[in-house]
Amino acid sequence: MATGGAVAGQRAHSRERRFGRRGYSWLTLAPALALVALFTLFPVGYAAWTSVHRHVLVLQDRPYVGLRNYQNAIEDPLFVDSIKSSLIFVAVAVPLVTLVGLLVALLLNQRVRGFAILLVLVLLPWAIPTVSAGITWRLLLHGDFGALDGFLYRIGAIDEYIQWLSSPGLAMASVIGVHTWREFPLPAILFLAALQTIPPDLSEAARLDRANAWERFRYVTLPHLKAALLIVLVYETIIALSVFDLVYVLTGGGPGSATTLFSWFTYTATFKYLNFGQGAALSFIMAAVLVVFIVVYMRIVRVREEPS
Amino acid sequence: MRRRRRAANALYASAGILLGLVILVPFLFVLSASLQTESELIRRPPPIVSPDPTVDNYEYVFTGNVPAAYASRELLRGTVTQDVRQIPKGLRNSFIVALGTVLINLVLATLAAYTFARERFRGRQAAFFFILGSRLLPAVAVAVPIYVSLRSLGLLDSKLGLVLIYSAFTLPFSIWVLTLYFRSLPGEIEEAARIDGCTRLETLRHVVLPLAAPGLAAIGAFSFLFSYSEFMFALFTTETPHAKTIPVIIASVSVNPDASYTLIAVGIVLSMIAPIVFALAFRRYITSGLVASLTRG
Amino acid sequence: MRRKTLTRRAAIGLLVVLLTAVTAATAALGAGGAREQTSLTFDVWSYSIPTIQDNIKKFQQQNPGVKVALRDTSWFDYHDVMATRFTGGNAPDVTYSSDHWLREWVAAGWIAPLDEHFSQFKSYMKEWAPYAREGMTLDGKLYGLPYYADLVTFIYNDRILRQAGFRSAPKTWEEVAKQALAIKNKGLAKYPIYIPLKKDDPWLIEIFYSMVYGQGGHMFNKDDNPVFNRPGSPAEKTLQWLRDAMKKSKIFNPAAPQSAEPDIVKTMGAGNSVFTVLAKYNLAELNLGQHKERGHFRMALMPGASHSTVGFVRFYAMSDRAADRGDDVVKNSGAFLQYFGGKTDGQYKVVKRWALEKGLGFANLPLYADRQVAASINKWGSVPLERSQAKLAHVKEGLTPYWGVWDIYARQQLNAAILGQTSPRKALESMADRWEQLKKQYG
Repeated sequence: MATGGAVAGQRAHSRERRFGRRGYSWLTLAPALALVALFTLFPVGYAAWTSVHRHVLVLQDRPYVGLRNYQNAIEDPLFVDSIKSSLIFVAVAVPLVTLVGLLVALLLNQRVRGFAILLVLVLLPWAIPTVSAGITWRLLLHGDFGALDGFLYRIGAIDEYIQWLSSPGLAMASVIGVHTWREFPLPAILFLAALQTIPPDLSEAARLDRANAWERFRYVTLPHLKAALLIVLVYETIIALSVFDLVYVLTGGGPGSATTLFSWFTYTATFKYLNFGQGAALSFIMAAVLVVFIVVYMRIVRVREEPS
Repeated sequence: MRRRRRAANALYASAGILLGLVILVPFLFVLSASLQTESELIRRPPPIVSPDPTVDNYEYVFTGNVPAAYASRELLRGTVTQDVRQIPKGLRNSFIVALGTVLINLVLATLAAYTFARERFRGRQAAFFFILGSRLLPAVAVAVPIYVSLRSLGLLDSKLGLVLIYSAFTLPFSIWVLTLYFRSLPGEIEEAARIDGCTRLETLRHVVLPLAAPGLAAIGAFSFLFSYSEFMFALFTTETPHAKTIPVIIASVSVNPDASYTLIAVGIVLSMIAPIVFALAFRRYITSGLVASLTRG
Repeated sequence: MRRKTLTRRAAIGLLVVLLTAVTAATAALGAGGAREQTSLTFDVWSYSIPTIQDNIKKFQQQNPGVKVALRDTSWFDYHDVMATRFTGGNAPDVTYSSDHWLREWVAAGWIAPLDEHFSQFKSYMKEWAPYAREGMTLDGKLYGLPYYADLVTFIYNDRILRQAGFRSAPKTWEEVAKQALAIKNKGLAKYPIYIPLKKDDPWLIEIFYSMVYGQGGHMFNKDDNPVFNRPGSPAEKTLQWLRDAMKKSKIFNPAAPQSAEPDIVKTMGAGNSVFTVLAKYNLAELNLGQHKERGHFRMALMPGASHSTVGFVRFYAMSDRAADRGDDVVKNSGAFLQYFGGKTDGQYKVVKRWALEKGLGFANLPLYADRQVAASINKWGSVPLERSQAKLAHVKEGLTPYWGVWDIYARQQLNAAILGQTSPRKALESMADRWEQLKKQYG
């Protein structure tokens, strides 16, 4: 055994020794591994197989078609549109979520009376079901009976209702906004934890050195946040690439194809067009892209996990 | 200097109030909407707070007594739907599914994490990497195959099927958090227990678990919140009120032509109670768990 | 070294045992799903579930050996969810279907011809309106009994129209635009026109068809080839009209691309809009429901040269699975269909109930002779007007096995064209391209 010299376990129970440490190890891992494998390894394998067959739900035979599903998927005009939408979504939502999270963390790190309540409240948007959040925002943002327009109209800020969800540009902005509302608590909590690891005398020293607020942030705070920042960016990218529930209840991918993100397009191809082969091809493309991010993410976390 | 400090504090306080508003307004809106009558809500512009709040809509959801405001109609088409009467059942289903998932997580994740934390064996790295990586796979990408798996297991439209899926999706995270947690515990007490003749499992149960309670609370809370709220798998694998969870029911109610906006709002409010209570009760553990999982705190 | 391989073997052995156990459990569970013979599964889209359940209760009282399990799904997702159920070994015994999907469901072998099992149903056929009969038959075989059948109609608020100084409802879409503009300019409604255009709502395609039909236009020819994509076709004009109304003259509620039927009904009821196109039963809701403007709504013939519109039928069908499950299930499914879509004690009991309580339309022409029904319709609508519109109604064209899948793409394109993300021309062309592609795929 590679690490046979480990101290603990050397004087183990005799019954256990007969069974073996490795036996014990695998036995305790097996149930969890089996369950996870059933819902990850098998699906990925199945998707790979389906993606090279014609698998249209209502047609009986399923011949091998090589890469035609991939080709058809890529040639669909919606494919390019959805990739564009997803890129826009990621490019705006990820920095926005990170920035809002950071600002909230910086704010909550101040010792101000009453902020204890905010620390509690901050969890709420993240804790409730996405579906509930999405429907609530749909009722708020609807361009005909929405309460937000109603409020703005009442205070005289607008004289025409704003079409938050049914004008193409605004719809995307609204989805990003609601996504940010729901998603910022996570980075906020993370950054706050990182901020609290900064020794107070460090910024005090900087203050005495007459460093201004920006300099203190740049040279004292930021270096402490670097690791958390990296993790948040990658993690939020993965989340943003796989957003689904929110689009489902808020816009349904519309109007037109304005909020048809890649994940939504995959869902549409599969469950709406009932073309499981093409859906699998898209899932596979998506999984491949995500695996890149996942590996990056694991690297970052891993580096921190085992410093020795 | 002090004046500047006071100015800064005022600035922080107002930013804090703004933040509080941004967080709370949607909650207050939907709560207020659930207490109104339909005609008020679609007025243009709608009232901010109903002048005449009513809990009739809640009563209808639980008892089926049609609110007086709707009863005067000759036709009962629109605004009152039986669909919302499934909400109590959905709440129960969500709760049962979430608890089942929590249970599986507590048992399986504890076993696996303790091994990952304390044992060294070949394949450990690979197993760990596999488990951690799998948690990030997007649900959309595996939805169809998982549907097929459940079908062949005969578990479509069942709470057990959902519990299995959710366990598979939450276990990686739980194992991760717990592994980190176990590692942060001092190993000496465990060694002492081993010398006294305890097996690994006995050590785990009697020595480690009591120390790891906060970690267990964190993974419990996480798996609860995840399974209570999950939407996509529940949407595709459930068919009847027997297994439909609350997110599926309120999503369906929200597009039901017979559902008034007030009833939709009632559904949303009811769907949020359990997660909010849970999140608040376990806030501390959630925070530390999150931090640990993302950064190894 | 030896111990090492031993433990490794033990571990591998364990894993194998575990996997076998999982597989065995799988097989056991999979086999254990058999149902009781007398239980029927009934799938519907969510609409007035309490009424359906009450009907089921009454049916069960009359047929004590049968137990009906109801499953409901949102109308938005019905097509996709049912496809998943039918192919996923989770088919119902009896189910709602629609003329939209008849060919798809028959081609896929999901539903069974009723006349082969229940010859008595044939006698109903002569009592149905032609568009409904056509919507439930394929290659001479009958696949359904009507749940309800209705028309897509033009609905307007008569009070506001008069207030704006107009004596009669518009007869063409140009006139609709003219009146709407006048209403807008008089400040009577900011957006007088409000038609549901949400792409997820299956109504969108039927409404679009109706607007095209009304102008004497067509979507497909007799051989199911697209004609909507011809330059200057009524389809293109309709799409252009919708777009201009929304973008240029701003007489069309801009929230429409994200609004579905219930949203429209509520806004119309509140008096915020004046003209719409909806299934006729909404007129009952608007005139009798809890709305500020109740009682002020009228229907008019679909604007355009021909005043034609879509007549559609939603029906009860029996699944192929039920037919396979044996005589007992077939017999009871027959009793079920008879009770829900046919006559009990010489009366269309359930169909009549839907008409009286919910204002749903019907294809069973003898019901018009029923005084109670006629009186009830006249409370919120007009029997003569309804009948003259019904005479001008046609089924949807192009109903092929792949129409249901094409429809989803088509709605997305229509939505995008109205919003200006693409031009009407281009949208219609890509709808035609998709049609050709599907035709090839479905061979």
